[in-house]
Amino acid sequence: MINIKDIRDTARDMLAKGEVRTVIGYRRGSRGMPAEPAFITSPEQADELIWDPTCYHNLSLYLVHDRKISAHLQKNSGLPIAIVAKGCDARSIVVLMQEHYFKREDVYIIGVSCEGTGVLDERKLASHLNGVQPTLAAFDGDDYVFTTAEGEKRLPAREVMADRCLECRIPFPKEHNLVFGDDKTGRQLAEPFAALTKFEEQGNSERWDIWSHHFDRCMRCFACRSVCPMCYCDECVVDSITFPVTQQTSAAEKADRVRWIERSAMRSENITYLMTRAMHLAGRCTDCGECDRACPVNIPIRMLNNKMEREAREKFGYEPGASIGGPSLVASFLDNDPGDFIR
Amino acid sequence: MSEQQNYEPRVVAFLCKWCSSAGSDLAGVSRIQYPPNATPITVPCTGAVSPMYILSAFNKGADGVLVSGCHIGDCHYIEGNFLARRKMQLIMQLLEFIGVEPNRFRMSWVSAAEGAKFAQVITDFVDDLKPLGPQEKLKKADRI
Amino acid sequence: MSKKRTGVFVCHCGTNIAATVDVAKVAKEMAGEDSVAFTQEYVYMCSEPGQESVVQAIKDNKLDSVVVTCCSPNLHEKTFRDNAKRAGINNFTCEIANIREQCSWVHKDKAKGTEKAIKISRSVVRRVSRNQPLESIAVNVTRRAMVIGGGIAGIQAALDIANAGVEVVLVEKQATIGGRMLQLSETFPTLDCSQCVLSPKMVEVKRHPNVKLLTYSEVQELAGSVGNFRVKILKKPTFVDPDKCKLCDECTVVCPVVVPNEYELNLSARRAIYIPYAQAIPASFTLDEEACLGLNPVVCGKCKDVCEADAINYDMRPETVTEDVGAIVVATGFDLYDQANMPEMGGGKVEDVLDGLQFERLCSASGATGGHILRPSDHKEPKNVVFIQCVGSRDPAKHCAYCSKICCMYTAKHAQLYKHHVPDGRAYVFYIDIRSGGKGYEEFVQRTMEDNDTLYLRGRVSRLYRHNGKVRVLGTDTLSGQNVEIDADMVVLALAMVPSKGTTEIAKVLKIGRDKDGFLAEAHPKLRPVESVTGGIYLAGAAQAPKDIPETVSQAGAAAAKVIALLSQATLSRPPLIAKVRPSHCTGCGMCVDACPFLAIRLENGKAIVNEALCEGCGSCSATCLRAAIDVKNVTQLQIFEMIEACLA
Repeated sequence: MINIKDIRDTARDMLAKGEVRTVIGYRRGSRGMPAEPAFITSPEQADELIWDPTCYHNLSLYLVHDRKISAHLQKNSGLPIAIVAKGCDARSIVVLMQEHYFKREDVYIIGVSCEGTGVLDERKLASHLNGVQPTLAAFDGDDYVFTTAEGEKRLPAREVMADRCLECRIPFPKEHNLVFGDDKTGRQLAEPFAALTKFEEQGNSERWDIWSHHFDRCMRCFACRSVCPMCYCDECVVDSITFPVTQQTSAAEKADRVRWIERSAMRSENITYLMTRAMHLAGRCTDCGECDRACPVNIPIRMLNNKMEREAREKFGYEPGASIGGPSLVASFLDNDPGDFIR
Repeated sequence: MSEQQNYEPRVVAFLCKWCSSAGSDLAGVSRIQYPPNATPITVPCTGAVSPMYILSAFNKGADGVLVSGCHIGDCHYIEGNFLARRKMQLIMQLLEFIGVEPNRFRMSWVSAAEGAKFAQVITDFVDDLKPLGPQEKLKKADRI
Repeated sequence: MSKKRTGVFVCHCGTNIAATVDVAKVAKEMAGEDSVAFTQEYVYMCSEPGQESVVQAIKDNKLDSVVVTCCSPNLHEKTFRDNAKRAGINNFTCEIANIREQCSWVHKDKAKGTEKAIKISRSVVRRVSRNQPLESIAVNVTRRAMVIGGGIAGIQAALDIANAGVEVVLVEKQATIGGRMLQLSETFPTLDCSQCVLSPKMVEVKRHPNVKLLTYSEVQELAGSVGNFRVKILKKPTFVDPDKCKLCDECTVVCPVVVPNEYELNLSARRAIYIPYAQAIPASFTLDEEACLGLNPVVCGKCKDVCEADAINYDMRPETVTEDVGAIVVATGFDLYDQANMPEMGGGKVEDVLDGLQFERLCSASGATGGHILRPSDHKEPKNVVFIQCVGSRDPAKHCAYCSKICCMYTAKHAQLYKHHVPDGRAYVFYIDIRSGGKGYEEFVQRTMEDNDTLYLRGRVSRLYRHNGKVRVLGTDTLSGQNVEIDADMVVLALAMVPSKGTTEIAKVLKIGRDKDGFLAEAHPKLRPVESVTGGIYLAGAAQAPKDIPETVSQAGAAAAKVIALLSQATLSRPPLIAKVRPSHCTGCGMCVDACPFLAIRLENGKAIVNEALCEGCGSCSATCLRAAIDVKNVTQLQIFEMIEACLA
């Protein structure tokens, strides 16, 4: 069981000693129950930090933001940043370091173990509380305890936990400078890829019927891209409006970029966007589930990434975020990669 | 049924320069006939085939996409086809996952010496594509 | 970018294209393309008047790029690029659209053929509309060569190169050069002594001022490309100083360690300190580190104590040396197919069943038995010997699909040698058919059958096993249709030739391709048989395919000639179709670095940098990059994108 005091003490201490520039963590949100990302820059703010089942966000996104800002301002960022990271978040950080996005010494990882639970899926919770709005969520062993106007509600975490947490194989930040909570790797609340497996049991045309409806809903708001720490490209290859223009950019460069898809939110273009994103996340997505959570029209984007993760694992023995030094999934191969699909 | 018989699938075939393109040359020299449905695009290596090319071809209305290169171990660039094998496996799985018919995408190894195989690969692919009819799922809607 | 002025030249190729493709329609369609300023069709575009008309059209119409729609680029890409250069425009703005091999020759329906030819032509026109003028890259050449493998192939190649005045480094894994040929007794079809013809060449290698010999050494790493390779070599310690060693042989007398002698194919034993053969080059003893009791005077130290020349040094350590060379010949030879794979032939476990090389050592005067053919089990002279051909060869279902080429000949030789050693003995040969193409080869086989009284039985052996102190061989004579049962004193298996273990390893280190059987792959089976697919790396001997000594020597000479021709140039030109980074898009993730098979990309200040001397232009980087930050020049993603569009228009 993690005591929030430990995290606060660590943050306060590091800031007071000038060891880190900022501590990225979670604090009480301004809009009811959900936590929100917090950037703690002075020791006095450390007590704002919280740790509860609504700490969904993959905060490594803000490491990416920080690097982008310092690149833009063309200044060295100086002291490292400390970050509170769950297992999946820490793996994202590993992938970012694997891709040389920043160096290990630039980041101080305050790991938090998900122990017996994971984080909440608000959509699941809604059907359990019969419309009652909780104002606070807390961990208690294998349960979540919600504070509501009608008093305390206790629910087994596994009933309202995000699918990805139920299926999580490594609910522990292996890469860390400091870690709170016990390593419960091996606690498997649901089969890995359980939701995916269930979906795949359907036939080809059923799957298409479902996905085509999903694709039709996409309005290319790019929330999935914005929330994803792996989508750190300056220009998104399937969204040429993001083309980075600098003083050195020539007219030819501007004219000659590939417009793989059109901007309009047609099904065909949405598919190409989402499929490209899944391909680009293969071997990089660490299943933090933020794309799913951010999607305003409930497209199960995570399932596409999950599919790639499973293929990578089963066919190539590849685990995203397992090592900082290893090559990326698509930049490497094994002599005995399966080739039976090739004629 | 008769409509399906008249339907001619449009195939984009990415051929590596060293093996499959040379294999298609051999099919030509040997005058081995095969259906004219596949338009070849010669690339240096299957390793140079970005998954974007496949998505893009479907987006532009290809009924089938073929990627063909050197057998494993024969790559002119030593490792290109190993890298391709991994990437193509992933894109193939993803296409199938969302419900695209598995027969719409194909990968084959055709060496410079396998003219007959090249012709067979195209023939089989076109045969397998015909019953599927036009590919509408990923195709960009025609402008009115 | 200003709009291109492309000329499209549609070739009829007589009726080769025109019969299936409406060439006029192709030209007309291409004329409608934005970038096309001129179109023309002609009956034979590659003919002198055809080429002239292209030059004229380029000049008259101020064309800056050319598409020739004709046959395969393998045939005339160079022709038309040179022609474009002659007309004063950049040769890399000329591309070929293949509408013959990929279209007219494989389709009959003219309407459909024409439609496809238009798609092919249009896609190439679109590609050319974005082609950049490029210049070939000039690289200086290191005028030095390396030969890997010191068998007859490597020795011949090294001597030929050295005699042309080029310095050559000869690297051999074993303690002596000589390879397989040094293990042979006599050679077909002349029965001249193998060592007698080989030894002078070995000595010449040792003494040649242009040859640097590295024995007991292994190539570990290769960097660079044609003209400029950098090779890292591990020199294993022999613990004996060859300059001091007087070959007195006192050390082997006192050495207490006895291990099987691999040079005698385990027919005899050697000591931990040993010399492979009396003729070994370098003429020096070697201390086998693995067998030795510990390179420690406290533990043993007998050899060091007895060595009056003070040649033994236990403190020698492995040493890595780096050699810069411009070209490499790989001549790493063959092994025999492992008997363990052949349970029907005893799986290597039946006594007195030997392989061909072991039989060579039994015949050799310097061999374990001093040139007497004695069977290993009881050292008696075998009176019945069965030779079995095609063991492991020509058996696509279970073993090697190919013919090992030399077995018919060396089995005939073995039978003759046996009869010469044991005139009252009986030799049987099981064969499928006899392949004796070669000068004097057929006559040699006939002599074996007729003058040497050898019984040739056409058929396969189904089984052999130990029976009453002999080897019982069960087979079929398919000519008489009868089953044959022979109780042999000894059986000799003509096992398939397979690429040596070293060949497999070196292919990985040098990153050169291998064929389906594991032999080193030549660049073209007919026209480039001694070149590997990697520029500047050449092949010689049985590492490329099974072959006999004359063929090996010829190939070694051919490889040497290629090396000499390459190194006689001051600079080399490399095609400029190589990768180019868009720094604005590169995030420095390093995926291209990992994907590049040629180690041609590195990260510098967080951006990928392409080493133009190493990049081969395969495009693996481009397909791997998530950010479209790297492209191969003139085969960019934008170009392919527009080609896809053209194919589906």
